[in-house]
Amino acid sequence: MSEVTNGISRRSVLKGAAVGGLGLAAGGSLLAGCGSKATGPLAYGARSVDAGPTAQNKALIAAYTAKTKNEVKYNATESNAFQNNLSQYLQGTPDDTFEWMAGYRMQFFAEQGLLADLTDVWGAIGDQYADSYKIASTGLDGKQYFVPKSWYPWGMHFRKSMFKDLGLSADTVTNWDEFLKMLDGMKKKGLVGFAAGDKGGWEAMGTFDILNARINGYQFHVDLLAGREKWTDAKVLDVFTHWAQLIPYMNPNVLDLEWDGAMQLLLQKKAGSMLMGSWFGGNFKEQSQADYDDLSIIPFPEINPEHGRDTVDAPIDGWCVAANGTNNSGGSDFLKFAGDMEGVNATLAAKDANGALIPMTSANNGQDTSTYDAFQKEQMAVMDEAKYITQFLDRDTRPDFAGPVVGPAIQSWFKNPKDVNKIVDSLQAQWDALPPLA
Amino acid sequence: MNSTATGSKKAHRRRAFSRADRTTLSAFVGVPLFFHLLLVWVPAFLTIVLSFTYWSGISISRIKFAGLANYKNIFFDTPAFWEAIQNNIIWLAWFAGIATPLGILLAYQIDRQIRGHKFYETAYYLPVVLSLAVTGIIWNFLLRPDGFVNGLLGRDIDNAISFFGNYHINIYVILTIASWRHIGYIMLLYLAGLKSVDMALREAASLDGATEWQTFKKVIFPAMKPVNVIVIVITIIESLRAFDIVYIIYGSSAGFPILGTLVFQNIAGEGASMKGAAYAVILFVLSIGPIIAYLRTTFKSDVQ
Repeated sequence: MSEVTNGISRRSVLKGAAVGGLGLAAGGSLLAGCGSKATGPLAYGARSVDAGPTAQNKALIAAYTAKTKNEVKYNATESNAFQNNLSQYLQGTPDDTFEWMAGYRMQFFAEQGLLADLTDVWGAIGDQYADSYKIASTGLDGKQYFVPKSWYPWGMHFRKSMFKDLGLSADTVTNWDEFLKMLDGMKKKGLVGFAAGDKGGWEAMGTFDILNARINGYQFHVDLLAGREKWTDAKVLDVFTHWAQLIPYMNPNVLDLEWDGAMQLLLQKKAGSMLMGSWFGGNFKEQSQADYDDLSIIPFPEINPEHGRDTVDAPIDGWCVAANGTNNSGGSDFLKFAGDMEGVNATLAAKDANGALIPMTSANNGQDTSTYDAFQKEQMAVMDEAKYITQFLDRDTRPDFAGPVVGPAIQSWFKNPKDVNKIVDSLQAQWDALPPLA
Repeated sequence: MNSTATGSKKAHRRRAFSRADRTTLSAFVGVPLFFHLLLVWVPAFLTIVLSFTYWSGISISRIKFAGLANYKNIFFDTPAFWEAIQNNIIWLAWFAGIATPLGILLAYQIDRQIRGHKFYETAYYLPVVLSLAVTGIIWNFLLRPDGFVNGLLGRDIDNAISFFGNYHINIYVILTIASWRHIGYIMLLYLAGLKSVDMALREAASLDGATEWQTFKKVIFPAMKPVNVIVIVITIIESLRAFDIVYIIYGSSAGFPILGTLVFQNIAGEGASMKGAAYAVILFVLSIGPIIAYLRTTFKSDVQ
């Protein structure tokens, strides 16, 4: 895949950002690496209570237990609560293996010694993954701490039927002017052009990511998130200027809707398009197969010809093993199975409440892309067009900056877009006030 | 003169308490005191210490002294802090100026046994039975874009009234929700106080030809001093420590910043920093300052 080289460049960028942490990171893996013997019962920590992921996890665990006779205790927590408690959870008595995200968010905990070294797991199943995934699973000390499960791209989602009614097609919405024309046409039809929600404080980060990458390029974006560029730069102001042009086409209650509220607008055909990660395909499928078949994704349009459509946010979800868990070797053994094509197939075989297969784009290169449905093939195309892969703003920068600083800043921008100068000033001031990394 | 008075008091006390009494007393005072110190003041003290450090909450060996950096960051670089202060002040003003007086008025009317007073008493008291979290859940269900009220008005999520998202109105929406419970709480406290006011006082006032308002202002209100103190303290505390309703409705995002949610946002999750501890200390100082000052003046005048 095209991610390979760029993944490396991105990773080295992030390494540079946190180089101070390297010295202290070494102690992290002492507890791990007990070999590959499958031992005893283990506990699985899920960070979702939704029906789809639960069905997938249960199917995977059933297959693992059937094969190894190892009992797996299943503990599920709602994802926000799981994230809020993660530090305490990992320092207390965590489940042996738990669901988490790749990139900075994983490296942060690996550095603190809270994740077990999974180098031996990668030794066993590594050849089933593109290098980019290995890089995204690697801590700052060069060891792997993460096994990827699935990925999804962020892009413009729309309904094929509505596009047809509006006389649009994917290749008529390739640049900013065409995009604004599209939104204008939707508005004239009484539709919300650009469905948006930011009540959760993170949803709109995806819009910032893609606008910044399109206008200023991948390198500026990662440099900004790593603190090597300034938020007060005219380039950042330019992002907000473009963003402000979208506001007239958004639903007026952006701060009242979470991501699923925005999705409902598209599902109920009240909105013509939405920028979001493709993970919600499963929600459409739960509604009906027809709604799912109607769903489509294209890359966010080009703004600056210099950068084209060369970057995409494509977060990777997967698992880690908690160093403080009681059964590290059991956790590793489980992930060896989960990451292997055998486990992936068990996950892919999971069915939703209607008895339909739950769509998933696996990180494992053994998943036959010819079995992808139409929507998944479009996701693949979005990925293939991109030269550079980013994770997501809150996975690509310091956690004490993304959540408590950038989220509220974007929300206050929505409240008063004219305050943009004040907002970028305060973003930079708050970055400068962050404590030095460990 | 003074010293002899205390001396005789002490002697009196010594005689009054037997050895068994003293053992019991020290157990009854000592055990709760121990737990109080352990569970309240030790964490409070540690929070104050932590607010002067950089720490992500993971492995204590990584803690670093930060001096006043967290406070400097909050006061000079964090606009959300001033938004939160503003919201907390409006909250306090609303409670002190509207919700608490309404609760007192209700208590007074119910105490006068107006028609249907039993019904009003129950109706206004009912929300107090619910925890703040449940209150938040109920009102969120009613007022969110796909909630009951918007449904009743026939509005879909794309043109729903933005009760929580529109920052021109959302503070008043939140305050109405909070008052829904606060009014009943104050009413109950005040009602209990009113019941204990000597009927003879009222009769004397009405014999002297005092109007209803004069009776309340000049006779009943002063006679209720202990309850008034409690009501004032509760109003201040409830306004400053507000958290539950806002957290239920907005989560840990900054959709509606108040001090309570800022503490949580900066201390929970991956973004944990001791800025959260600094927020907690600020909140602590703000709450305890006016309360200590108020109680001191009140009790001083009592002693006199």
